[in-house]
Amino acid sequence: MWRRVLRGDVDKALFEAMRLELRRGSLVLAVLACLRTERYGYTLRQALAADGLEMEESTLYPLLRRLEGQGLLTSEWREEEKRKKRFYVLSSGGEAMLAALTDEWRGINASLDRML
Amino acid sequence: MDVIERYLEAVAAQLSAEDREDIVAELRDLILSRVEGREEELGRALSDDEKEAILHEIGHPLVVAARYRKGPDSLIGPELFPYWLFGAKAGLIVIAAVQALGLLVHVLGDPANFGQSIGQAFNGFFSGALTLLGALTLAGAIMEHYDIKPTWLTKWRVRDLSAFGLADPAKWGASMAGSDKAKAEWMPKGAMVWGVRAETTGAAQALWSFIASAVFILWWIGVIRFTGIGDFALRGGDVSVTAAPIWSLLFGLILAWAVAGMAVDGVTLWRPEARRLQALLKIPVAAAGLWIGWRLFQAGHWATLTQGDQTARVMGASPIHMDFDAIHAIPEAQRGLAETALTLGTVLSWVLAIIMLCLAVDVLKALWRIATARD
Repeated sequence: MWRRVLRGDVDKALFEAMRLELRRGSLVLAVLACLRTERYGYTLRQALAADGLEMEESTLYPLLRRLEGQGLLTSEWREEEKRKKRFYVLSSGGEAMLAALTDEWRGINASLDRML
Repeated sequence: MDVIERYLEAVAAQLSAEDREDIVAELRDLILSRVEGREEELGRALSDDEKEAILHEIGHPLVVAARYRKGPDSLIGPELFPYWLFGAKAGLIVIAAVQALGLLVHVLGDPANFGQSIGQAFNGFFSGALTLLGALTLAGAIMEHYDIKPTWLTKWRVRDLSAFGLADPAKWGASMAGSDKAKAEWMPKGAMVWGVRAETTGAAQALWSFIASAVFILWWIGVIRFTGIGDFALRGGDVSVTAAPIWSLLFGLILAWAVAGMAVDGVTLWRPEARRLQALLKIPVAAAGLWIGWRLFQAGHWATLTQGDQTARVMGASPIHMDFDAIHAIPEAQRGLAETALTLGTVLSWVLAIIMLCLAVDVLKALWRIATARD
């Protein structure tokens, strides 16, 4: 995982606040992308962390419920390793939304690349 | 009970019955996964303190449960908050002004109870402020929860934005300052206040007049009372003041005149740049005030003082009251009932005469404004 080294003239607290805002906008897309494969909360968090996107479970779990409520995910309880876990995966609506958001994200990236 | 189960019970109590079991099961899985992961790292079971540290990382039960709440995240959201804040500021200023005015009247009418008056004014302000903020917050929360968007949120015109300038105290100072030097201290020369030059706007004066009229109307119709006005102490005993019949005769007219004055102030606040319109409205109101003053002068008898079985009439507008010698005689006046009635008659006569003179000047100023205003 790369680590950014801050320039000496950047206010650390301000940078942290703005960095969180920047990340917040990408979390839904990251979660939808990871759930092309069925996972449960803990393994999803590990998968996101492995790709450089740390996310607190306390934020992740409510997000998963919201996305399910919006029809983008489906879930089912299954017993694994002697404990009941809730497994999430993209629904057909979620796949379509992921494709649309991916196009949007690539468009934003291209615009930003031109500006930066 | 296990520390984790106690935590989950606290979270569950904040959740709706519909989702409670499902959410708690998911949280239990999350917590146990974290605990097992940590136990694998350490090669041993975690103590209760170590489990509690993990629960701290997850968050306070109230905060965790709030993340699962459906509907708005805040009582008053970011779209509505600026309006709530303006309403709170404006309302608090009005309450403070009303209490200050009431305090002034109390102190003038009953200076002996100055401390009590101050206490009552503070009490009035704080209880009024709490009621205002509570009512505003309740209204805002209802609008937020049911997604109610009144038309004034979405449909507004620039010409109606003048009153929002009252949130800036510098504009009050600029408006009320008597001299150009004082105005310049509040606002730079040539600065615009509600679309007109700072040195010519009268909106802050209109606001004070509006508030004072509101307080007068409430007193006139008996909603609020000021101690010390209906009776006072005098050598020989307490004196009660009874209004003369002319006040009953003119009650409705005076009420209508005060309401009309408030309405004109309201127009000034709403359209401070429409000086010709304001002048047009002020003329009939000032003229009505002059007529009422003239009727009071004609009546002559304004009040009756009663002390025991003695009475004395407070008369006004006769030559003996309008003489400058009568004013000079006030400090040396005896403190008997008749002398007090004479003193009151003299003071009230001069006050009424000055008020009528000001109203006459208002009419002339209004006519001048109509002739010269360019709006």
